[in-house]
Amino acid sequence: MTKEIDARGLACPQPVILTKKALGDNNEITVIVDNETAEENVRRMAQSQGCETTIDKKDGNIYIHVARVCSGETTREAGQEDPKRPVVIVVGSNAVGRGNQDLGEVLMKSFIHTLIETSPRPDTMIFLNTGVKLAVTGSDVLEDLKMISGSGVKILVCGTCLNFFEIQDQLRAGTVSNMYDITEAMLGAGRLVQI
Amino acid sequence: MTGNDFLVILFESVSSTLLAEKILKKQNVAHKIIPVPRHISSDCGVCIRFSAAQLDEVEQALSGRVPYQDIRKL
Repeated sequence: MTKEIDARGLACPQPVILTKKALGDNNEITVIVDNETAEENVRRMAQSQGCETTIDKKDGNIYIHVARVCSGETTREAGQEDPKRPVVIVVGSNAVGRGNQDLGEVLMKSFIHTLIETSPRPDTMIFLNTGVKLAVTGSDVLEDLKMISGSGVKILVCGTCLNFFEIQDQLRAGTVSNMYDITEAMLGAGRLVQI
Repeated sequence: MTGNDFLVILFESVSSTLLAEKILKKQNVAHKIIPVPRHISSDCGVCIRFSAAQLDEVEQALSGRVPYQDIRKL
């Protein structure tokens, strides 16, 4: 029988933790959540573990059926054998460098603009702390980020940070992410550039 | 990016660029801070890019307020 995990009403990242735990002992589980952020996070984590997911929605609840496709452990963790390891840029604030904030903000605009015109592009960009403000309504670099995202760069925006600044509903570029995805992207990087 | 013709306005200092940006923002003149293009200068500087169609607006907004060095084609 498929194991059922009731993760309704639990705060991020609990649903992801429970799912990960359950997947350790089961090849097939159903996770019940009650919001789309949890759905997205669980689904992404499951897929990164080599699982297939299907979604059912009933009475305001979201049922995520997770099934391990192949029993072989993913080799992603070792990483070294992957010939093309991703380039990851971590944007940890809305300004480049420490010191003068105004100057740092100018440098950030200049940097993000230059990313559009430079190759190779990074594979993933991660926005943390005040960095998340770059991806919301009113940001001067929003159009640039949309363009970068449109060109295939994965943009992960820290959900905890959006929540802290109370701007979750203003995100306009990239996807809301959690510390699992963010940490995995960092550790799986071939090259990590921190801004 | 588009077929649009762009100009850049160059300043003597970064703080002048910042001041000019503030003024343009306040007056709702579309603009963008970009690094000074390599063919113009090899210095690590920033300048403000705007659409050629807005030359008058930019000049009007900044004249007498922020000294600028030059306006060049991108």
